[in-house]
Amino acid sequence: MTKYLRAYSISLQETLQRRTTLMMDRVGGFAIVLSLFSFWNALLGDKSSFLGYSRQEMLTYVLLINVLRALVFTGRGWQLVGEISSGRISSYLVRPIDYYGYALALDLAQKTVHVVFAFLEVAILAVFIRGALFIPTRWETWLMFVLAAGLSSLIFFFMEFMISSLAFWTSESGGPLFCFELFLSFAAGAFFPLDVLPEALRRALSATPFPYMVYFPARVFLEKVSPTEAAKLIAIESCWLVVFIAAALSVWHVGVNSYAAEGG
Amino acid sequence: MTIALETKGLTKDYRSPVKEPGLWGGVKALFDRQFKDTRAVDAVSFKIEEGELVGFLGANGAGKTTTLKMLSGLLTPTSGEATALGHVPWKREAAFQKKISLVMGQRTQLWWEIPALETFKLNQAIYGIPEAEFKMHLTELVDLLELGDHLQVPVKKLSLGQRMRAEMAAALLHRPKLLLLDEPTIGLDVVMQKKVREFVKAYNVRNGATIMLTSHNMTDVVELCKRVIVIERGRLLYDGSLDRLVERYADHKIFKVRFSKPISAADLGQFGTVVNVADMTAEIEVPRAEVAAAAAAILRTYPVKDFNIEDVDIDDIVRRLFTHS
Repeated sequence: MTKYLRAYSISLQETLQRRTTLMMDRVGGFAIVLSLFSFWNALLGDKSSFLGYSRQEMLTYVLLINVLRALVFTGRGWQLVGEISSGRISSYLVRPIDYYGYALALDLAQKTVHVVFAFLEVAILAVFIRGALFIPTRWETWLMFVLAAGLSSLIFFFMEFMISSLAFWTSESGGPLFCFELFLSFAAGAFFPLDVLPEALRRALSATPFPYMVYFPARVFLEKVSPTEAAKLIAIESCWLVVFIAAALSVWHVGVNSYAAEGG
Repeated sequence: MTIALETKGLTKDYRSPVKEPGLWGGVKALFDRQFKDTRAVDAVSFKIEEGELVGFLGANGAGKTTTLKMLSGLLTPTSGEATALGHVPWKREAAFQKKISLVMGQRTQLWWEIPALETFKLNQAIYGIPEAEFKMHLTELVDLLELGDHLQVPVKKLSLGQRMRAEMAAALLHRPKLLLLDEPTIGLDVVMQKKVREFVKAYNVRNGATIMLTSHNMTDVVELCKRVIVIERGRLLYDGSLDRLVERYADHKIFKVRFSKPISAADLGQFGTVVNVADMTAEIEVPRAEVAAAAAAILRTYPVKDFNIEDVDIDDIVRRLFTHS
């Protein structure tokens, strides 16, 4: 366990050390939220609700996107691709450490830093729009939200880990990773609530793990799902996590073996 | 003596895609990918005893790194066997990994943005080194490698020599019994090369560790290794003492002379084989037995501005070995 704690600590230091990258990431993320915020504000105009979301709920959703993006979508996928294609991964494969546990520890550290920043940003915005946000008062809601968001964060890690591991076979696994990230932002509800989409598309998406990443935790937070429904969805989400852990680890192991067979 | 490393018929083929040149070749390769197998290591067998320090020589692409990668467990061989410290390396058992280290001169395991000490602490946790032992090893390594306070500085701020020594320390904190060094002095200036060499020697003696090292630097090999293994195109060409190898194949030295006026190649031919004459400089291969006499004669007869006697470089010896076989 100590090795993963050490890995967490070293990654935390590095994330804080690379201040420019961190600031750029935060400014970029914040710009998205700010534009979504203005967009919905304008669209709502003097309507009191839209697509079943009150003004207050819609603005809260947008701010939640900022926090959930930081918690769920922060990861080192690109670095893993680089480490595999440059062969740097070798130095880990000869040391007694499970790389995925190590990678998870590194990601969690980055997520920690980004979530702290995201909260600060949201707090600043919240001051300007005082009273216009929906804050749940039931502790069950908070518990479910944390659970749902925590699971999403892990699902994302294993998904990204799986896709990045394709670098063992192709030097172009940056391509799939890029497509995945783009599609994910859309399908997860990280640009807008999925209620905006046509019914058929929404149904199709609900059979995938994507809506669990942002849309579902946000709806739990906004108390748009009943506690029983939320519990059911969290159970499904847990199944998705198990599926992706299994998939990611198999792809990784097959990848490492083929790396060992074909040469690093 | 106990055997630390043993290989029997170790063979490794690499499979790489072949593409016909040009755009059409690219399109074809998209649908019908052809592969070509290249034999990187070909039925190599040797035994190394515990505590030996062996030089592993060969030209670029001869299969040295591939062999080291198999011995460290990074690569699985196509066929053949190997045991290292009683383990099959490519099973990658933790018990095995805790006893070995692979250092590649051109790769780094240090975290770039933060001080090397942090990577050391990470390795302490990875290898499960108790705190007291860690402190003891660290003090010793810092002292031997003259790392001083370089460990508190972000790795990216270190010079290549400092980084390489920190790299070495990171790889040795767990006191590996088997050390595989791939080009440990590459890119370092002579002073640093010497420090790294002295350290490798000291580590070998102090810990009785088995060390296998590859280098293009003849001095590394001469100063460190009594025994060398030479491979060429994946095949084992020579396994034995370095003295015998040098006697047999490096039967001459190279004179590099700069004159203060042009000298003709024909004149210099009497001392040995003239490799190269350009304007006022010349390179002559002189048989070992005649080195002293020839040097004296050249200095006496010609207006010499600068004079160097060099060993034949290792690639040359290997090439000779190859043509002789």
